[in-house]
Amino acid sequence: MPINHDHKTANALEIQGVGRRFGGFWAVKDVSLSVRPGERRAVLGPNGAGKTTLFNVLTGDLAASAGTIRMDGADVTQTPMHKRIKGGLRRTYQHAHLFDGLTVRETLFLAVSSVAGGWQRFMPLKPSDGAIGKAESLAQMSGLCSDLGREVANLSHGQRRQLEIGMALAENPKMLLLDEPAAGLSPSERPRLAELLLSLPKDITIVLIEHDMDIALRTSDSVSVLHNGRLLAEGSPENIMSNEAVHDVYMGGAHGH
Amino acid sequence: MKSALFLLPFALVPFFANDFWLVQIFGRALILGIIALSLTFLAAYLGVVSFAQATMAGVAGYTVAYFGPNTVDVGREMPFFVVLPLAMIMATLSGAIIGLIARRSQGIYAIMITLAIGVAFFYFTRQNYNYFNGWTGFSGIRAPEIAGTSLREPLPFYLLIILVSALCLLFVNGFIKSPLGLTIQAVRDAPKRVLAIGIPTTPVIVSAYAFAGFIAGSGGILNVWYQERISSFSVGLGPIVDILVIAVIGGLKNPIGAFIGALAFVLLDTFAVDFIDRERFNTLIGLVLLAIIMGAPDGLHGLAKSWLSRFKKRPSENQV
Repeated sequence: MPINHDHKTANALEIQGVGRRFGGFWAVKDVSLSVRPGERRAVLGPNGAGKTTLFNVLTGDLAASAGTIRMDGADVTQTPMHKRIKGGLRRTYQHAHLFDGLTVRETLFLAVSSVAGGWQRFMPLKPSDGAIGKAESLAQMSGLCSDLGREVANLSHGQRRQLEIGMALAENPKMLLLDEPAAGLSPSERPRLAELLLSLPKDITIVLIEHDMDIALRTSDSVSVLHNGRLLAEGSPENIMSNEAVHDVYMGGAHGH
Repeated sequence: MKSALFLLPFALVPFFANDFWLVQIFGRALILGIIALSLTFLAAYLGVVSFAQATMAGVAGYTVAYFGPNTVDVGREMPFFVVLPLAMIMATLSGAIIGLIARRSQGIYAIMITLAIGVAFFYFTRQNYNYFNGWTGFSGIRAPEIAGTSLREPLPFYLLIILVSALCLLFVNGFIKSPLGLTIQAVRDAPKRVLAIGIPTTPVIVSAYAFAGFIAGSGGILNVWYQERISSFSVGLGPIVDILVIAVIGGLKNPIGAFIGALAFVLLDTFAVDFIDRERFNTLIGLVLLAIIMGAPDGLHGLAKSWLSRFKKRPSENQV
């Protein structure tokens, strides 16, 4: 992977003119964003605005049809996903795709050893393995320490979301992309999620898609609003809350499920 | 460890069985069980039904035939301690290559592509005379003599078979608890998510197939010693389907199922001729397969497990 660091104060994420086309339809078109290191950025927008597609392009789940993506100053537009992950990028998914046949401990172990190395070993795993210790502290962070031995298929919806975040926190991520982490959580679980997000180390850059305005605005420094695949507005949470255009889009979009 | 204990009854067989039961029934069942185990491994932990296990076993068998003592004028003889590792390497490699070809396919497509590879290998062996001796194949293959013990003798051969079976079960059960084994299961559950935690899936899938090739290869070596011959028919559609039938009858969810299915298959195969015509065997095994699929989708192993759990629950029900 060619890494060309431009200057010391490179943005954590800098995308320019990024687009993704499905046939003749641009799900994301000409989006440019820059996110400072350590910034907490919320991405808002009605259903179908292109938020998740943008995430998919950022992680490499989907290739960008246009534009460039830079992370920490390095151009990663063509870099395969697993290399971007090694570089410190993590994401969670809106619909939790987890390893249903494994336990919580095994899942978090894989999340650790996939980045730290060692997933290729083919001798039986010892409980004293270093990555197991790390997996257990991840479970502690995400509030799953009493469920370490449980099979993922038997977790509740809320616990699956917690596990998603636990996996994303493995091995000191630099940037987290969280795709609706609060989706489907009960009202009592939501404040706990907000706590968890606020408690994350300040040097982690977080980009968050969230429909729960309370969580989105409480946990972020700045907001970008997408609409029909394009960037509609950008600014501080207060600015965005009072923005006319954003109001129109949200009122219109909120009914159109 | 626990699962290898399941083979304990097989270890007791030499105390009361004659040579026919020892080798033709239990020995053959364990050999077929090992080859079916490699299919069960792929099905249970990678989530792929492969039709190429008889092919991987055949690669090991042909290697032993070509480099070992045989009565046809093909091949070159080498000492067994060179041939055996070579055969295992070839089988593992064949598994890896098949995995590389089939890595992107699942479900019906994986079945089709592995079946195509199996059938292609069948025609290749049939038409190639330099290495496979074509239609005739190899005969007069002899198991070696190690430290004064001939492996052609029923008892030593049977003990070797049971040792290899136990080792294969231990390997599978140890492997699935290793980091790579866990990653294989993760690929089964959510391949895209495996990529998203930073692991490329191709080497994972290829190594699962290679491991299956290793297991099938151990069965393939024993099988060629048992048959004392190998030809294109040993890797044809018949054996390919037999292995699948064994794995399904036994149950695809647990490695032990392969051995249970193999024993049931061998008993039917050997004794059904006493009751029905030889040509009717396929009808019989087809009906058994149908009954299993409809009545016990998890095979005989699943059936036994649910009976046992019913048995265990009874005391607690009495308390209520």
